[in-house]
Amino acid sequence: PEMARLVHASMAQWNDYHHEDEDVDGEERDESGVDYKSTGRDSLVFLVDASKEMFIMGEDEEPSPFDMTMQCVRSVYTSKIISSDKDLVALVFYGTEQSKNPRNSFKHVYIYHDLDLPGARRVQDVDGLRGEKGAQVAGETMGSGNTNLGEALWCCSNLYSDIKLRLSHKRLMIFTCRDTPHGGDSERDRQARTKASDLKETGVVIDLMHLMKPGGFDVSLFFCDVVSPPEDEAELGLQMEPCGKLEDLQKRVRAKEMKKRSVARLNLCLGEGMNVAVGVYITALQARKPNAIKLYRDNNEPVRTKTRLYHTQTGSLLLPSDTKRVQVYAGRQIVMEKDEVDVIKKFSDPGLELIGFKPMERLKLHHHLRSAVFIYPEEEMVTGVSNFNPFFTMCSVRNVFALCKYTRIRNSPPRFLALVPQKEEVDDGQAQIAAPGFHGIFLPYADDIRTLDTPQLPTASESQVDKMKEIVHKLRFKYRSDAFENPVLQQHYRNLEALALDLMAPEHIEDLTMPNVNMIDQRLGSLAQEFRDLVYPADYNPEGKTAPKRKPAEAAGGTEKKPKVEMSEDELRGHVQKGNLGKLTVPVLKDACKQFGVKVTGTKKQELIDALTAQLTK
Amino acid sequence: SPPDSFKSEGKEIKMARSAKTALVLCLDVGFSMSNSAPGQEPPFQQAKKVIQKFVQRQVFAENKDELGLVLFGSDNTKNNLAKDDQYQNISVHRQLMIPNFELLEEIQNDVHPGSQQADWLDALVVCMDLLQNETLGKKYERLNIVMLTDLNTPSSPDQLDIIIGNLKRAGITLQFFLPFPVDGGGSNPPHGGKALSREQQQGLEMTKQVMMSLDEEDGLEEVYTFSDAIEKLSVFKRVEKRPMAWPCTLTIGSSLAIKIVGYKAVCEERPRKSWSVVDAQTHQKDDIKRDVVYCLNDDEETEVQKDDTIQGYRYGSDIVPFSKVDQDQMKYKTDGKSFAVLGFTKQSMINRHQFVGTQVLKVFAPKDDEHAGVALSGLIRALDDLKMVAVVRYVYARNGNPQLGAAFPCIKEKYECLVYIQLPFMEDLRQYSFPSLENNKKYTPSEDQLSAVDSLIDSMMLVEEDKDGVKKDLFKVNHIPNPQYQRLFQCLHHRAVNPSAPLPPMDPWLTTALQRPLAVATRCQAPLEILKKKFPLKEVVKKKELKTSKELFGNSCLGTGRSNQIYLYSPSYITMQVKA
Repeated sequence: PEMARLVHASMAQWNDYHHEDEDVDGEERDESGVDYKSTGRDSLVFLVDASKEMFIMGEDEEPSPFDMTMQCVRSVYTSKIISSDKDLVALVFYGTEQSKNPRNSFKHVYIYHDLDLPGARRVQDVDGLRGEKGAQVAGETMGSGNTNLGEALWCCSNLYSDIKLRLSHKRLMIFTCRDTPHGGDSERDRQARTKASDLKETGVVIDLMHLMKPGGFDVSLFFCDVVSPPEDEAELGLQMEPCGKLEDLQKRVRAKEMKKRSVARLNLCLGEGMNVAVGVYITALQARKPNAIKLYRDNNEPVRTKTRLYHTQTGSLLLPSDTKRVQVYAGRQIVMEKDEVDVIKKFSDPGLELIGFKPMERLKLHHHLRSAVFIYPEEEMVTGVSNFNPFFTMCSVRNVFALCKYTRIRNSPPRFLALVPQKEEVDDGQAQIAAPGFHGIFLPYADDIRTLDTPQLPTASESQVDKMKEIVHKLRFKYRSDAFENPVLQQHYRNLEALALDLMAPEHIEDLTMPNVNMIDQRLGSLAQEFRDLVYPADYNPEGKTAPKRKPAEAAGGTEKKPKVEMSEDELRGHVQKGNLGKLTVPVLKDACKQFGVKVTGTKKQELIDALTAQLTK
Repeated sequence: SPPDSFKSEGKEIKMARSAKTALVLCLDVGFSMSNSAPGQEPPFQQAKKVIQKFVQRQVFAENKDELGLVLFGSDNTKNNLAKDDQYQNISVHRQLMIPNFELLEEIQNDVHPGSQQADWLDALVVCMDLLQNETLGKKYERLNIVMLTDLNTPSSPDQLDIIIGNLKRAGITLQFFLPFPVDGGGSNPPHGGKALSREQQQGLEMTKQVMMSLDEEDGLEEVYTFSDAIEKLSVFKRVEKRPMAWPCTLTIGSSLAIKIVGYKAVCEERPRKSWSVVDAQTHQKDDIKRDVVYCLNDDEETEVQKDDTIQGYRYGSDIVPFSKVDQDQMKYKTDGKSFAVLGFTKQSMINRHQFVGTQVLKVFAPKDDEHAGVALSGLIRALDDLKMVAVVRYVYARNGNPQLGAAFPCIKEKYECLVYIQLPFMEDLRQYSFPSLENNKKYTPSEDQLSAVDSLIDSMMLVEEDKDGVKKDLFKVNHIPNPQYQRLFQCLHHRAVNPSAPLPPMDPWLTTALQRPLAVATRCQAPLEILKKKFPLKEVVKKKELKTSKELFGNSCLGTGRSNQIYLYSPSYITMQVKA
């Protein structure tokens, strides 16, 4: 029943995304994502080896394979919570001494987390399995014992079949550092292979996340018959090296954990009768704080909202067909049917229509409107030869982009896209860092470009420019797009985490968007002063008037929260007696409640005050 | 004789901010305007279209500009200057007023070609008089007269100098709309093969004289042909927004600051108005009330009061009550606007396809601060030379969400600036991997196929060099008005004046503007045919078959809502389908 409720609830923000300034009727659902109701949920099972070998620390204090795996699982849990909170995740151990599964029919298989949405508690559970202490906890609760991968896979297949929801994508990741889990027991090997193929037949994709092992991990000894065949032949050569580093493992897991979902499947039309079927994907899109939900005060359960239209005079319920749409110009009401309003936006059927080609330098940097899309031929076609390939190859060779008219769905007005070919790139570990395909850059119309009055100002001399070059040189760094976390989102989720787990205070976040002022000042040394002397007269204050002067210390310290002051019992009793608890803020009151073990049902200020007063006047 | 009492208010008027324009449309309805070569639209109809489109545009712009309409060559006479036999057959149809749909309807229903003739110079004088009388004591940014005529009436040039003098003194500007081009006149006209009459030739000379006296250099650019005007006026002009300045300070560490001003340079423009919902019968907004009710998730859908609900958030499987007050207390806060440099990196490290956000800012120094100008120029030029960008923390205002962005150097002939574009946070990225396209043996295209695509690209290049080596772009997206709004306004206008008629078809010019240019479409025919032969057409893979393949591969959901379309599949793919 809980699951059913969740379906009603707001969808994961990634999927729920739509433009900020969407108008009232919600007409402009431009790049909104996929609807889970129609496609089902994604699911992911972590099947982790818990044998003794997994707990052996690496060289140079490298974490043990088990520890690395737990860190990975944790980061997948939290990232699922933030960006795809409808996905189901499970954590299962094999090779344990203890067994824990429904009916305990599978020996040496320990279901740590059922297939379900990850939540705060689960994150905390996984945290508990990390590090030296975690290894100890694992030893005590599960222990290491016999290995029977076939049983484990069977148990996992039950996890999938017990889910009543429609699952669209089923993935199972095996984390192990043993290439021969059954130590040569061919009967168990065979059984595992059989179970694996059963699973694969029901649509489960099995991946191997093999970890470093002394003497090397030989996939061909056993696992090659267990895992799913790669998506294409070329991939066979890839990712056969075991992971030795956490970073590599995380990258590999991240690349696999998410099912690629296209926001549209269209024809790229090169000319009359020349179509290539392509998928449109979104690879960069601003993640936002999800909308708040309304809860019933008495039980903290979500309530549903129903919007109804009434006739003001008669009070009767109105159907959408009882309404029309209106805009007023020059005092005149212009009336249209809802259908007409929609159909006005229709120009052509969904698709990508090639207009022609332009040299790459014609693509202007500042012609940016919104996140780009990624265009890739329908995967089913990749095994064959389509005309996508020569089209892609030649655009790349000629260094041209293809200009296309893009109509995403019926009734969506056209936009023009520059299709920029992106060649595949792989890193040292053979992991793909840039996928092959086209980036579709949205181009602005005349209306989208504003005319600006540009000020006429003197330009810098060579010596001034040279001094700035020195400054730039001192502050060089290697930008990586995945290096910066969004402090607003992180703070929000840490707050929720703290509330969900009854923590005293949310975990501290590191705000990577803040400049490291001390470091910058130190690196620049006298250069800043030298540049100022070159460009500013002595009496000039570059920070005057327009911006209030900020103290450097404050800027450096960022928005770190003030440490919480715990109230003594006497202090609190004093407040209660004088009846001025109301002057304290809600978080302070909450802390006080926690501190003195006061149970509160609601979160309203008066409730907190009442509860505290009741407790302390006993 | 023309009035000589125009007061010069020009200078004062220009000072006034947000001032309006007063404009008189002066339309020739004389009998010659109905003459046309067979198969051609009479000048009167063309001129009427120009006026309709222009008024339509003014109505939708909803500004304070005032508009008057004077007809000449009309059967009746109605103007202040008419006396005895002077200023006859000139009728002030509408005084200066803000245009509305009533005016549009009047033009559509009541403005007809007349059977008389009137001197266009006389009509001009009536317009000047109208402007002078009705703008008296009010402030206008511009006074303008728009003359639409075929110049086919005899005019007496003896008053011309006085009229020009008065126009200049009153600061009135003129625009002419003629059936023929101003420079292609003479006795060998290009239009319809019909030669200009003696009156027209004389009129054209006088028009030139007036326009050149008012503006020696560009005067003739204000003389248009009807057909040009219809085309240009068909485009609904967006209402220019005054760019909003965002003053801030660019900081590098604690001891280097440069004053800056940012402006939105590129941003998806949206229509100012949105649709509101009205009752279908009464068309009244107030007759409809939207009501939101909250109910529990039980079988009875029990309604609860809004006051009995609290705010919460989902944290994975957890539902966390989190009041607004607490949230405000605990949320991430910023202490004010910021444009702080975190460091510098190579331009090549920034991937254009990872740009996020919905706008591009151009960052200048304040226009009266040359020191800031020099300092910013130093940064811009240094970055440009080094092919680097500044990575900055951007905060729009206190408690605004911080952004991470790249400030690119931009050096143009007339100005220098930084171009700021937002970059993604880690949470914004989806790292999908896709099977290789090139390192796949099965997938290697033949030389034949590659060269076919190569010639297709040649034939479809949209940028070409003319014989002087000047590059010409045949399809500039940034010159196309947003078709969504063009279509919207076309339909709004149509519905406003024809409330019960169905919506009109798309304007042909709009359809054409969104298509492959004709030259390119013609050029690429042959290469496309060749390409088609290299990739033989195969009949559809139907939905059913796709389902089979889904069962086979089992890892994706295919074929939603598509069937019976023709795709290009290679023979090898088809074989696979058959096996399935």
